[in-house]
Amino acid sequence: MLKMTHLQKVYRTHLIETHALRDFSIHVREGEFVAVTGPSGSGKTTFLNIAGLLEEFTGGEYQLDGVDVHGLNDDQRSRLRNEKLGFIFQGFNLIPDLNLFDNVDVPLRYRGYGAAERKKRIEDALGRVGLASRMKHYPSELSGGQQQRVAIARALAGSPRLLLADEPTGNLDSLMARGVMELLEEINRQGTTIVMVTHDPELAARAHRNVHVIDGQVTDFDSEPALRAGSRESGIGNRESVQAAPVSP
Amino acid sequence: MEIRPILSALMRSKVSMILIGLQVALTLAIVCNALFIIGQRMDRMNRPSGMNEADTFTFGSNGFGQGYDAQAVLRSDLALLRQLPGVADATNTNTTPLSQGGWNSPINLQPRQKSATANTAFYMVDSHALGAFGLRLVAGRNFKDEEVMPMDQGDRIQPSAVIVTKPLAETLFPDSDAVGKQVYLGEDSPPSTIVGVVERMQQPWIDSSTIEYSTLIPAFMPYGNYSRYLVRTEPGRRDEVMKAVEQKLAEANSGRIIGRMRSMEQTRADAYAGDRAMAIILGTVIVALLLVTALGIVGMASFWVAQRTRQIGTRRALGATKGDILRYFQTENFVITTIGLLVGGVLAYALSLWLMQAYQAPRLPWYYVPVGFACLWLLGQLAVLGPALRASRVPPAVATRSV
Ligand SMILES: Nc1ncnc2c1ncn2[C@@H]1O[C@H](COP(=O)(O)OP(=O)(O)O)[C@@H](O)[C@H]1O
Ligand SMILES: [Mg+2]
Repeated sequence: MLKMTHLQKVYRTHLIETHALRDFSIHVREGEFVAVTGPSGSGKTTFLNIAGLLEEFTGGEYQLDGVDVHGLNDDQRSRLRNEKLGFIFQGFNLIPDLNLFDNVDVPLRYRGYGAAERKKRIEDALGRVGLASRMKHYPSELSGGQQQRVAIARALAGSPRLLLADEPTGNLDSLMARGVMELLEEINRQGTTIVMVTHDPELAARAHRNVHVIDGQVTDFDSEPALRAGSRESGIGNRESVQAAPVSP
Repeated sequence: MEIRPILSALMRSKVSMILIGLQVALTLAIVCNALFIIGQRMDRMNRPSGMNEADTFTFGSNGFGQGYDAQAVLRSDLALLRQLPGVADATNTNTTPLSQGGWNSPINLQPRQKSATANTAFYMVDSHALGAFGLRLVAGRNFKDEEVMPMDQGDRIQPSAVIVTKPLAETLFPDSDAVGKQVYLGEDSPPSTIVGVVERMQQPWIDSSTIEYSTLIPAFMPYGNYSRYLVRTEPGRRDEVMKAVEQKLAEANSGRIIGRMRSMEQTRADAYAGDRAMAIILGTVIVALLLVTALGIVGMASFWVAQRTRQIGTRRALGATKGDILRYFQTENFVITTIGLLVGGVLAYALSLWLMQAYQAPRLPWYYVPVGFACLWLLGQLAVLGPALRASRVPPAVATRSV
């Protein structure tokens, strides 16, 4: 689904060069739920932006769903984002002047769907996140958790192959964060591949697999298929231990 | 085009939309009416006087001293003028078109008629008037020398022959040829015979409602010791001849002063100075309004682009191409401008109606408003292009980078 090999990203400003990613390799398979963790400034967002075709890379290779991304022009990248990817942002990034219906409609209009098709998809997507009854509301009338659900509905409406989330719970309290996480897990169970950046170890532990990034490099990369089952086991184990924590004094 | 969501988003920021929309509306209303007024003034200024204005000039001779014989000086001056190098022709005349001063009198088909058939201006001239003014004779003949009679101020105007303008001839005799017909110029005067018709010669007053009705009277008529002349020069020699005339006539008779030497071009410029000033002021207002509106659109659009940088990045992330972003802002401008123009169209006709009532102005022709629509649509699109292009260059990474 997503395959990066020896990827490099250098930011050049007139004063300094920042090596945000160096020799970054990762392989995310169809149906996986991968959590990317790492300290602040380690390159997580840079990775996600390149994965999501929001930024170009300066070296290495990147294949998205079998397409070699290198050399695509701006319009082709926009098209690919629209068709294959769904984005979930830390700040929700809803358009404040549009109601929920119109917000979810945004990527569908760029897709060029007809009105009936769009309406069906919008209603479906908002239904999946439990907000079908609030289509005429504006984002400012919702809680943070609900806004992030709308953003998820917007990401889902176009039936993406891959969902990219950059700290989707970063602006939410723990209760709302858990709700959003459960929603993502359900979406993943229904077949959508998810790559999620988070600095919350509790949430990361619930993913199939953790990728730890330090200083632009993957340091803890358990991508071997043989290890995946074990990794998932340990993830579940983690979750249990974390859930047990509040109970014991 | 995604007009519906753009419109609903705009409805959430009504104040800015109303400000720009109102500006567009007022601009349309004022520019349409101002342009129309300028057009009317231009039409007024472009009315032909019927005479040659490029090569002609007028001047006066004011005699003093005892025994000054105005009639004799008049004739000797004309003889002198006509043989000066560069002079094509010359005549005495009491006034000229565009001079804003002269005689106006009823012209009738019957003696002692109660209400006038028409009102006409008089030009007291000699047999060289057609040549000196550069008038075009379209029927009949010129004055004969013997028809030109000496006249004094206060004498009755009773020439045997007159020449009238074509519009006057057609008003007096709508169904037949005016040449040979008789008209009455005064209460108890004997009739005068129309001997010729000239195509056009305006009255001296530019505001006259009967500006095309003029009559040439064959007469040598000084005002006391004052007489006036009109000289037509060979093309391109006017300024040189003006100087020579002043000098030669002063030399020829030291008992008078030559003065009020003016080219007809100068006379025309003076006559229409007010109209020209009005056109310039309104033109300036139009340019200023268009500029302010364009700058308003540029400013507002730039502000919106800056304010919505993250939203633009998000749209790019969700699949908008650069072209989609460009079109978004262009469409938004089109929507605001159109709303403004619809209001402005009503305002334009309302303003016109008010001008009609308050100043007896003519009605604004209907097509000014649609043409104004097209121009302001274009202006809006040009003004928004810069900010819209800037918006289209917002990188998609802004969606994740700016929190
Ligand atoms: N546009 C940019 N220009 C220059 N440096 C950048 C830019 N974006 C990110 N960086 C740098 O790249 C490194 C990685 O950043 P980022 O991917 O945002 O880290 P993280 O998301 O893990 O906190 C940081 O040192 C950051 O300062
Ligand atoms: Mg980050």
